Amino acid sequence: MKIKIELFGAARDFSKEDFLELTLPEITSVKEVRENLADFIQSKYPDNKNFLEIVKRSAFANEQNEIVHDDYKLSNQSKLCIIPPVGGG
Amino acid sequence: MFHGKVIDASKGTISLDAAQKFITSEKCGASLFFIGTVRNHNNNKNVTGITYDSHDAIVEKSFKEIYDEAIQKLKLEYPVVFIEHTKGYVPLGGISIIIAVAAKHRSQVYDLSRYIIEEIKKRTPIWKKEHYDNNESDWLKGNPVIDIEKK
Repeated sequence: MKIKIELFGAARDFSKEDFLELTLPEITSVKEVRENLADFIQSKYPDNKNFLEIVKRSAFANEQNEIVHDDYKLSNQSKLCIIPPVGGG
Repeated sequence: MFHGKVIDASKGTISLDAAQKFITSEKCGASLFFIGTVRNHNNNKNVTGITYDSHDAIVEKSFKEIYDEAIQKLKLEYPVVFIEHTKGYVPLGGISIIIAVAAKHRSQVYDLSRYIIEEIKKRTPIWKKEHYDNNESDWLKGNPVIDIEKK
């Protein structure tokens, strides 16, 4: 199944696009999205430890604009937003 | 009364006049303006400007949640809150955020304003990319909005 991740903040540097698409096994949770995203980052940017740290420290939000935790289940074509550590003001 | 919005710097500017108009109330004896601006240094680097990124929908939802919580926690009388945050590029000295508050008494507006800015920094999805005088730029490390150990 395919999951689309909209990029924000420091995670925008993961791609030239505003989003990433991951292909994952069926019955996927946010935990698996995080793990797959980390694998993707490691293969695309093997020397960039900062990117991996961003994935580890980020939250994810669903299409209803709610922060969702690692056990949150996703279906095919689900969309998430990655929410890296924040610091406005 | 509450107003909370993200303003795209390419389309408009956040305005103290608008803030003042919004919070003016005959029921309130105190009002306070907090203004965040871009300063010229951070972490021993010369800063020339900041680009703010934002998840607008969650930001505006977060502003309202913080307002509702503040009313509950601080037991405010006749609270009025105006929050606007800039999105996009803000040059040196430019305004990134206005938090204008009014309430019945002075102690309430100090508590309310402080509560709002501290909570925004902890959990509202806004990010800063600093620009430096050597033409480099960097996203600032921030606060995770989830408990990293629990997720």
